[in-house]
Amino acid sequence: MFHVLVIGAGTMGSTHAHAYAAMENVNLVGIVDIRAEKGSELAASVGTRSFTSYEEAMEALERVDVVDVCVPTFLHKEYVMKAADAGKHVICEKPLARNLRDAQEMIDYCKQKNVKLFVGHVLRFFPEYVNAKQMLDQEAIGPVAVVRTTRGGAFPMAWNNWYADFQCSGGLTLDMIIHDFDYLRWCFGEVERVYAKGLQGRVAAQLDYALVTLRFKSGVIAHVEGTWAHDTFSMKFEMAGKTGIIDYDSSRDKPMVAFSRTAQAGSGGVAVPESPLKENPYYLELKHFLSCIERDSDPIVTAEDAYEAMRIALAAIESMQTGKPVVLQ
Amino acid sequence: MKIGIISFAHMHAYSYAHGVLQLEGVELAGIADENEERGKKYAAQFNTSYYANYADLLNQDIDAVIVTSENAKHKEHVIAAAKAGKHVLCEKPISTNIRDAQEMIDACREHGVILQTAFPVRFNSAIIRAKQMIDEGKLGRILAIKGTNRGQNPGGWFIEPSLSGGGAVIDHTVHVVDVMRWFMGAEVKEVYAEIDSRLSDTPIDDCGILTMEFDNGVFATLDCSWNRNKQFPTWGDVTLDIVGSLGTLTIDAFNQKLNVYTDNNGYKHHFWGDDMDAGLIRDFVNSVRAGKKEASITGEDGLRAVEVALAAYEAAKKKEPVALR
Repeated sequence: MFHVLVIGAGTMGSTHAHAYAAMENVNLVGIVDIRAEKGSELAASVGTRSFTSYEEAMEALERVDVVDVCVPTFLHKEYVMKAADAGKHVICEKPLARNLRDAQEMIDYCKQKNVKLFVGHVLRFFPEYVNAKQMLDQEAIGPVAVVRTTRGGAFPMAWNNWYADFQCSGGLTLDMIIHDFDYLRWCFGEVERVYAKGLQGRVAAQLDYALVTLRFKSGVIAHVEGTWAHDTFSMKFEMAGKTGIIDYDSSRDKPMVAFSRTAQAGSGGVAVPESPLKENPYYLELKHFLSCIERDSDPIVTAEDAYEAMRIALAAIESMQTGKPVVLQ
Repeated sequence: MKIGIISFAHMHAYSYAHGVLQLEGVELAGIADENEERGKKYAAQFNTSYYANYADLLNQDIDAVIVTSENAKHKEHVIAAAKAGKHVLCEKPISTNIRDAQEMIDACREHGVILQTAFPVRFNSAIIRAKQMIDEGKLGRILAIKGTNRGQNPGGWFIEPSLSGGGAVIDHTVHVVDVMRWFMGAEVKEVYAEIDSRLSDTPIDDCGILTMEFDNGVFATLDCSWNRNKQFPTWGDVTLDIVGSLGTLTIDAFNQKLNVYTDNNGYKHHFWGDDMDAGLIRDFVNSVRAGKKEASITGEDGLRAVEVALAAYEAAKKKEPVALR
């Protein structure tokens, strides 16, 4: 039985907490959030206790095996280091950190303290992405030439509007399309060159949009779109190979859409799409990380992979700022 | 009004000929083609005269010509037409280098004939509607554009650089760059590109992703790859995703289609939207008839688009952005 403490009751903390609550081998021992109301609300919904600080939780709880860090990016390091100090294994949301120096310190520190560090690059557990990779590995479309991905929707609303603070979040390039960078690197190997343009620093409005071109050492050319300028969330990819094309578009390929006419009389209702699965990707990811602890085995996505994905994202940001391509060494 | 066609080397000649035939009071007066078999075949099909030598076609009592020869031959044909006093609609890309395009523009101006670059996408109804929405300010200020113009490798002279000037990048950059310029009234300032030959058996650029900065502060990317595979349900696409300060606009210009599934042919798209090629021809004819000094899409428009494609090749080679102006 794993005793798991979740730090942060925002979107990701809530998603993780619900996944743990459904696991038979997990005892979700608590939720930490400095917002007492937010923490207790989530704790109540998953049947656990809430705390307003990490220290309070650690003092009160008899046993904690794993600390799951779901706080804003710029706070990751603080909690990862604390958990490592206490000898707890750590699951940390992506991106691992806001800068590479912090990321490296976190990786080194967890090694030194002999605790495992996992990073939530959950795309590697989304069946649509996993199946596409399997098809590529089986050479279903021959050698791949050009790949396009899209991710995003509306500007994310969260605690203190921290996503809007570039110094805290790194904008959508570090926060969101890092998912695609990690996935593409998983599929196509190391990136040689990055060129990117983005709205960061160009517009004052709460809006972000980035178009990134990656050139892989294997020769594959990838175009990655990230948007916090559109209306509803969607994710898409297309891989064009010598003998075929694979594409996926979450806004087009959906098994169900519910529309409630009565929810708000007089106002336009909202259609809510769902892609139900027996085990959702977050559940699969967290279950996998826990099994790696149990078996002392390597995860599908390592902390080093998370570091490399950050390198790509930060190179893209550098390219946006300098107007030059950035070569990854 | 009488119109001739110089060469059926480019397959667009076929739909342009149809466009001519649809118009009242316009006659397809002849087809010149150095490929006799091809020229005679289409002359018979369109019930018009065949000329082995384009000079003979230009000597006829015609008002205008459509030049649909191989890209590298546009210059010779356009300048000859200008000297003969015939208005010209020239297939894109207007030329394979900047000097040729400038000479063509100068010759047409000198001889008082219209030179129109054939950018039919401006006559796609979704593109026209988008232009209208942009002009009405519905998107606010345009901030960024993501474009694609993918297709299949056409083979033939298209993959012989001495005739085509290059592969996918010169073939497919110009349409969407022209639309972006038209939408915004802005010029491309800088180009970066990743280009490669990864799909074709012949070494020709078939993959390309361009990134552009416009002089109005907008950035854009364009995927011009010939990467639609043989069984893909359609020839390719023209798409533009526009991010504006007040909203977004997503255009998939040929997504007016039926999905058709047959045992013989698998899954295919059947397009039912308006015929943009016919729209292009009608516009050209109207400009000639009205005695306009300038075409709606000029030789300079053709040149500006080619400049971007050529800069993309240079940028890909240097692995550096290339400044245009």
